[in-house]
Amino acid sequence: MAAFKPEGIFPALITPFKKGREVDEEALRRLVNWVIERGVHGVVPCGTTGEFVYMKEEERKRVVETVVDEVNGRVSVIAGTGASATNMAVRLTRHAEDAGADAVLVVTPYYLRPADKGAYQHFYEVAKSTDLPIILYNIPQCTGGFLAREVVEDLAELENVVALKDSSGHLPYTLELLDMVGDRISILCGHDEVVMPALVAGASGAILASANVIPDVWIEVYEAVKRGDLARARELQMRVQKLARIIVRHGGAVAVKAALNMMGLKVGKARRPLVSGGVLSWEIREEMRLELEKLGKLKAEEEAPESKKFLEELGLSPSELRCLSLEIGEASAGVGEEEVHVRAVVGPKDGPVGYAWAKAFSQLEPGHEALLALLEPNLMARPPTLIIPTVEIRNMRQASMVYGPVQAAVGRAVQDAVEVGWVPMEAMETHVALVEVTVKPEALDRRALYFNAYEATREALRRALRRG
Amino acid sequence: MAKKFWPKGVMPALVTPFDPKFEVDEEALRRLVDWVIERGVSAVVPCGTTGEFVNMRIEERRRVYDVVIDHVNGRVPVIAGTGDASTQVAVELTKYAEDAGADAALVVTPFYMGLTDKEVYEHYEKIASSVELPILMYNIPQVTGVWIPWWVAEGLGKEISNIVGIKDSSGSMPYMMTLIEKLYGVISIICGYDEIAMAALASGADGLILASANVIPDVWVEIYDAVKNRRDLDHARELHRKYQTLLRFIARFGGPLAVKRALWMMGLDVGYVRRPLMVGGAYPYEVEDEMRRRLEGYGLIPRMPVEFELEPGRVYRCDYPATSYTHPRIRDFTLRVGEAFTSPSMADVAHVDLMLGRKDGPVGKAFEDALKNPRPGHEPRVVELDGREVKPRTLLIPTVTIRTERHAKLVYGPAMAGVARAVVEAVEGGLIPRELVDELVMIVHVFVHPTACNPTRIMLNNYKAVNHALKKALEDRPTLGELMERKESARHPFRYEP
Repeated sequence: MAAFKPEGIFPALITPFKKGREVDEEALRRLVNWVIERGVHGVVPCGTTGEFVYMKEEERKRVVETVVDEVNGRVSVIAGTGASATNMAVRLTRHAEDAGADAVLVVTPYYLRPADKGAYQHFYEVAKSTDLPIILYNIPQCTGGFLAREVVEDLAELENVVALKDSSGHLPYTLELLDMVGDRISILCGHDEVVMPALVAGASGAILASANVIPDVWIEVYEAVKRGDLARARELQMRVQKLARIIVRHGGAVAVKAALNMMGLKVGKARRPLVSGGVLSWEIREEMRLELEKLGKLKAEEEAPESKKFLEELGLSPSELRCLSLEIGEASAGVGEEEVHVRAVVGPKDGPVGYAWAKAFSQLEPGHEALLALLEPNLMARPPTLIIPTVEIRNMRQASMVYGPVQAAVGRAVQDAVEVGWVPMEAMETHVALVEVTVKPEALDRRALYFNAYEATREALRRALRRG
Repeated sequence: MAKKFWPKGVMPALVTPFDPKFEVDEEALRRLVDWVIERGVSAVVPCGTTGEFVNMRIEERRRVYDVVIDHVNGRVPVIAGTGDASTQVAVELTKYAEDAGADAALVVTPFYMGLTDKEVYEHYEKIASSVELPILMYNIPQVTGVWIPWWVAEGLGKEISNIVGIKDSSGSMPYMMTLIEKLYGVISIICGYDEIAMAALASGADGLILASANVIPDVWVEIYDAVKNRRDLDHARELHRKYQTLLRFIARFGGPLAVKRALWMMGLDVGYVRRPLMVGGAYPYEVEDEMRRRLEGYGLIPRMPVEFELEPGRVYRCDYPATSYTHPRIRDFTLRVGEAFTSPSMADVAHVDLMLGRKDGPVGKAFEDALKNPRPGHEPRVVELDGREVKPRTLLIPTVTIRTERHAKLVYGPAMAGVARAVVEAVEGGLIPRELVDELVMIVHVFVHPTACNPTRIMLNNYKAVNHALKKALEDRPTLGELMERKESARHPFRYEP
C-alpha cells in the first residue's frame, strides 16, 4: 500500500442521533456532504467527537460503512477504531479495512490504563492486524494519561504507523514529537485552540471537532500557513478562538451538535449521560450562538425587544420626589452597542423610595426582573441597591450580560459613591437606591459594558445626590 | 535505636497572630499558647504551615520561637517549624531553635523547585547532622510539590538517630498506611491532615499536628484519649463525625485563614493573616458564613443578649449567637436587606436576597400587594412547613421565570422547604425574638437555575443561604469597612467572557 500522509483539515464528524437516540444515517450523509462541499481534505467518523465511547460495536461499524459509502472516494476516510480492549480495536480496524476506509485513528487505551509496555503492545497488535495506515491518538484529558514519547518513537518504526493526532493542546509535547519522530511520521493537531501554532510548528494538518462547524475557516488557516502568510493565519485563528474554546472546553460533541442545529443542519442530540444544560450550560450555548452570529454563520435576531420605564410606574414621579428634595439622576456612557443609560434615585427607606424599592423587589416583571446590585455574590452593595433592566431580557446570554458585568458595575459605582462621600455614611443603613439600567440587547463586549455601566451609574448617582 | 524524644498526643500547629499592620502580635500569641495548653494539648508547634512560616522573615521566625518557648515555660514540649526551601536556611533555623531551647524541630521538605529522592534525603541528613535536636520530617505535597517517598522516610528514620518522627499532611491514607507498615515503632508517625486524623490514629499513628487543634484542642484531646487510652472507637468516631465539616473547611480552605477567622468568631482574637492570603479568596465568603453557622451549632459562638428595638420603648431581647459584627441593639425594622450565595454544584446553587421589615412598613405593604398582584412566572408563595405558615410570615418569590412544571416543583418544593427550615430555626436559635414573629415579615428572592437537578442540594443550599442572609440583614453586613476593603479585589463570576 502506498504511504498515506494525512495533510489538511479533517472534521472529527459528530454522529447524528434521532429522537430515540439511534444513529440517524440520513443526517450523517447530509453532514458528510456539507463538510466536503466546504473543502475538507478528509473525514473522521467515530472519533471522540463522534461519541464512539457511547456506541455499540455494530453501530460503529455501520457508521464507518455509511460514511465510506457517502464519501464515495471524494476525500479520504479515517475511521476511529480505538477501544479500551486491544481485541476490540483489532476487530474494528479489520472491519474498517474491509469497509474501504483509507486509514484508522486509534486512541490510547483508557480506564484500565496500561503502562508503556501495554500501550506499545496495544498499538503493535492493531498495526500488525491490518495493512491500513494507523494514526495514533493522544488525548490525555479523556484517557487519563499521555502516550509516552518513547513509546511513540518505537511505534514510529512500524511501517504502517503514519501519524499521531495530539489533542492534548500541550505544545511542548507536540514539539517533542516533531523533534523525535517528525522525520518518520506526521503530527496532526487535535486541539482547536492551538491549530495555527501547531501548524506553524510543523503539524501536517488537524482533526478537529469545530471543523464540523467552520471547516472553511480552518482550511483558510491551513492554506495561509502553507503559503507562509502568518499574519492572516493568526487573524483567522483569533477570530474563531472563543468558539474553539467553547467547543473544546464545553462538551465537544454537545457543543458541535448545538451549533449545527442552530445553523439549520439538524443532527439531533448527544447520547446520555451528556444532557442539555450539563457540560454545555445554557448560558454558554447562547454565547456560542453569538460567536456564530459574529462569524456570519447565523443571522442575528432582528426584532428589537421592548423597553419600559419603571421609576414612574413605581410611584416615583419627579414632582413628588421634588417635594422631598429628591431627584432622579440620569446619565449615559459609551457609544454603539455597549452604550448604557442609567436613571438612579436614592432615598430614605421609610419614604416613597423605600416603598417603591420593596414593590420592585416583590413584584418581578417578567423580562425585567429586578436584582440587587452586588460586587460579587456574597458581597452586596450598600445602601441596598436594586437594579431594574428597562429592555426586555429574552435569552440567557442577554441575562448573563445584565446579571454579570452590569450587576458588578452598579455595585462598584454605589460603593465608590459612598467612598467619595456623595452618599453619606449614615445613609448606608437608612437609605435605599433604585437604578434603572438600559442595556442594548445587541451588547457583546462584557468589558466595555462593565465600564460603561460603571460610569453611567456613578454619574447618575452624583446627579441624583446633587454632588460634585 | 532508642529515640530520645517521641512526639505524641495532640499538638496544635499554632497560627502566628499578626496585628493590623501585619506585624507579629506577641501578646495574642501568648494568649493563644495559654488557650491551647489549658485545653490539654501535649505540645505546641510554632511556625508550621498554619503558622504562615513561608511569609515570615527569618528574624521573625526566631522571635516567635523565643516567645513561644518563653511563654510555654516548660509546661509542654515546643516543636519549632524550621523548614525552608534552602537547606542552609533550614540548618541555621534548626540550630537557632536548638539554642533557644526548643524540644524538637519540624522540618518541611524543600519546596518550589522540583526535587528527586537524593536531594530530599540529603537535605534531611544535612540538617539532622548539624544539631543534636530531635527532628521531625514533614510531608505536605499539596503545598511543596514534593513528596517524601516512603523509602526515603524509612531510610532516614532508621539511619539517623535524631530523626524521631514524620508528619504526613498529604491526606493520603494509603501513604499513611505505608509509613505505618515501614516505620511503626521506629519513629513517631504524626498525622497532619485534619479530615482523616481519627482514622490515622486508629491505624497506628502516634499523634496529631493539626491546624484545627488551635480551634478545638479539647475535642482532639478527647478523640486521642478515646482511641489510644480508652479504646473507645465508637466515641472517637462519633466525635470526629460531628466536627467533620469544620475539619474539611480548615483543611481545604486556606488553613491559617480559616483557623484565625474561627477563633475570632469564637471571641479569641488572633489577628490577621498576611498577604497574599485574604478572606474571600482561598477561604471564600460563603465558607466563612457557613463556618459561623457550624460553630454556632457546636455551641462555640458565645451567646449575647441582643435587643431588638421595634420602636422607641418597644424593646425585645433574644439570646443571639453573636460575633463582633453583632450590634447589642438592633434598631429600625423599616426595611432590612441581606444577600447570600451558597453552593456546591453550579446547577444547584442558591442565591438569596431577602427583605425583613415591619408589617406596617414598606415590606409589609409589599408583602400584601405582591399576593394581590402575582406576576406570571414569578408567583409569590407564602412559605409553609408541613402545611403551616412559618413565622415570621415569609413570602417566597422565584427570581428566574418559571416556564416548566419541573422548575416549578423544585422552587416550590425543596427550595421552599429550605427557606422554611431556616426561618423556623432562626426563631428557635435566637436570631429573632419570639415576641416579634407577628410584627415582622420577610420576602425572599429564591434563585433556582432552570437546569438544577438535585433536590437535596437545592433544599440545603437555600436553607443555608437564608440563614446567612438573615444574619447579614440583621447585622447590616457587609459593613462599610468590609466593602471598602473588599471592593477592589471583588471578582464577579459573570463579568468575564467564557
